[in-house]
Amino acid sequence: MKLIADRLDRISPSLTIAMTAKARALKAAGKDVIGLSAGEPDFDTPRNVKDAAIAAIERGETKYTDVAGTLELRQAICAKFKRDHGIDYKPEEILVATGGKQVIFDALVATINPGDEAIIPAPCWVSYPDIVALAEGTPVIVQCGQNSGFKMTGEQLEAAITPKTKWLILNNPCNPTGAAYNAAEIKALTDVLMRHPHVWVFTDDIYEKLAYDGFKPATVLEVEPRLKDRTVTMNGCSKAYAMTGWRIGFAGAPISLIKAMDKLQSQSTSNTSSVSQAAAVEALTGPQDSIEDMRKVYERRRNLVVDMLNAAPGLRCHKPEGAFYVFPDMRGCIGKTTAAGKKIETDEDFTIALLEEVGVATVHGAAFLSPGHFRISYATSDDVLKEACTRIQNFCAGMK
Amino acid sequence: MPALAERLNRVSVSASVIMTIKARELGAQGIKVISLASGEPDFPSPPHAIEAAHQAALAGDTKYPPQDGTKRLKEAVQRKFKRDNNLDYALDEIMITNGGKQSIFNAFMATVDPGDEVLIPAPFWVSYAEMAKVAGGVPVTINCPQNNGFKLRPEDLDAAITPKTKWVMVNFPNNPTGAACSRAEMQAIAAVLMKHPHVWVMTDDMYEHLIYDGFEFCTIADVEPRLKDRTLTVNGASKTYAMTGWRVGFCGGPKALIKGMMNMQGQATAGVSTISQAAVAAALDGPQEFVRERAEEYRQRRDLVVDMLNAAPGISCHKPEGAFYVFPNIAGCIGKTSKGGRKIETDTDFAMALLEEKYVATVQGTAYGMSPYLRISYATNTENLREACGRIQEFCCELS
Repeated sequence: MKLIADRLDRISPSLTIAMTAKARALKAAGKDVIGLSAGEPDFDTPRNVKDAAIAAIERGETKYTDVAGTLELRQAICAKFKRDHGIDYKPEEILVATGGKQVIFDALVATINPGDEAIIPAPCWVSYPDIVALAEGTPVIVQCGQNSGFKMTGEQLEAAITPKTKWLILNNPCNPTGAAYNAAEIKALTDVLMRHPHVWVFTDDIYEKLAYDGFKPATVLEVEPRLKDRTVTMNGCSKAYAMTGWRIGFAGAPISLIKAMDKLQSQSTSNTSSVSQAAAVEALTGPQDSIEDMRKVYERRRNLVVDMLNAAPGLRCHKPEGAFYVFPDMRGCIGKTTAAGKKIETDEDFTIALLEEVGVATVHGAAFLSPGHFRISYATSDDVLKEACTRIQNFCAGMK
Repeated sequence: MPALAERLNRVSVSASVIMTIKARELGAQGIKVISLASGEPDFPSPPHAIEAAHQAALAGDTKYPPQDGTKRLKEAVQRKFKRDNNLDYALDEIMITNGGKQSIFNAFMATVDPGDEVLIPAPFWVSYAEMAKVAGGVPVTINCPQNNGFKLRPEDLDAAITPKTKWVMVNFPNNPTGAACSRAEMQAIAAVLMKHPHVWVMTDDMYEHLIYDGFEFCTIADVEPRLKDRTLTVNGASKTYAMTGWRVGFCGGPKALIKGMMNMQGQATAGVSTISQAAVAAALDGPQEFVRERAEEYRQRRDLVVDMLNAAPGISCHKPEGAFYVFPNIAGCIGKTSKGGRKIETDTDFAMALLEEKYVATVQGTAYGMSPYLRISYATNTENLREACGRIQEFCCELS
């Protein structure tokens, strides 16, 4: 009898992890490697949040909590949804999970039957299609190119919907492109959804606080409240408060779905860490200044990186509205040969040569289902970014 | 609302959670409810673990952890397996999970195909069967009757194994009975498994340090090293160190299995809170004397509870070797009527009437796959236990 279950064979091996492992190996061999491949803030968790966690431990908040999270945290999340988007959720419509990832896992595994379809605009974070596949659903990938700002249009959505469609999965702002939808762009999608009452929408808003030039990413329910009985609004503390290691994600959704997600989570992990939950309460209810401080720094870095990449021959870099990624088009380099004599046929050839020849780690576009591009995370210092972009410029300029 | 996924309809909500919620509702009405329903230690987390969490937060150990756990914690787990269980696991044979529950969930999801059988000695922790069902497996229970001390008999195990058997669960000391196996008893179980090379064994050793009267804990991969290449040894910090809220479990197993489980966890939650991991590393490497002191405290409580329950008419309570549960038989109460006029037909009736009339929360045996019994957790102070057992005696005396 073979050991591994068929469901695991449906998951593609993580290409991001392969790159990270290669970069780590080069680094260990003494090579000077700049990592622009990680999807997490370089800032530390704010001090008030850490202090709140420590105070909670001292108070003995080290016991099981409700699977869906402490009432205090769920109330803080309700207040956050109300404050930021005018959405009214009750605490029983909220679930706290181990990272935003578990929110996605809970929602999709609790609802997808074999053959159900989930529409996913690409480029996308590959965990969406992987989790859909794990749940025996069919990911329906809709390519949204750079020419449309990497965003899905109402027409594209309309064309992708079938009677088997169960979910539309939005990520706004988006990993890996940084593209974000404003209220009008969301409205174009929700108008389509209003005509298809069998389709649910999952919106992953985890990067919402990171938007630039005054852009305001909109979330589905502030644009179309009538979708509330078939929307999951997901968010978390990882990106806004630099709390990736604490593992706190959460969602608002109709009670019947929250109950189902709660049931699944009760049989997989139970509650997320009580200590992290206390930290999240402080993050959401305490002073919010740290967000604006980080946002300004990210905006400056984005401008720096986009300008420098566009000066590299063969690259074309879109200036995105949010997140901390850019997703330059590298197809102008395809068919060329690097200074070290490596022929570039694909985006993966490009990122591997970039890593091996000039020591810059990025992730190739195929890892986000959009070949011909690569992802750069600018969640690192200006000096490091300048050095990395200079190396990329030299790498591109050295191609023949 | 689209129907939930079929896999979720197979799953039930935990009975102990339902009892805990019901008890809390009564408590909210101002009634003094004593809960003996919850499976968590009443002791605080150890001070050195708290201090390590504090230091980790201050040091900025707040970034994404590796999916399989931090190196620091994995090394501490490696030392623990060697020290306590005489087991040698390489670092790539160890992974850290969100509670012991996720170790089991990962293992089933990574290995169980629809129709695969999971053998579960009964009475059993409900989640084993529920998790097997989420994965599409078929839970097959093996009765372990009270007259054999609630232990698994080798001949019953042998008879239950079929060509479709993928896993056998082993959980001694056991939740809900507290029963533990001697080395000779475990050897007999191992001998059966040696005859069936297609069967894997998962041992949940969560209660290993809660064992009394000089009884010695043993784990199957140590008792029969030839089974190690098809054994998953699951453990965690929750019960030994009173760290339930921190959500840290861990396991050791063959590399191929651990790799599959890591892929699974990568899709469900990613890594475990860095703060919790730092705390547990300190707990594993720190002083262990207090664990024995607490075990002595639990032993005294067990003796008190067993004696008081056996003095209640209609109840016969086995004295178990470990954990912090007793599992009294209430057959003598079935068919009677409570003072409040409730007819006691089942153990569920008994538990409900006891809660509503005497305000003592317990969990009915049927939730653990054996009736008519009650599960009583004695992880609460002596005064509460005396009061609760007094109320149970009163309840039984008033049955007519």
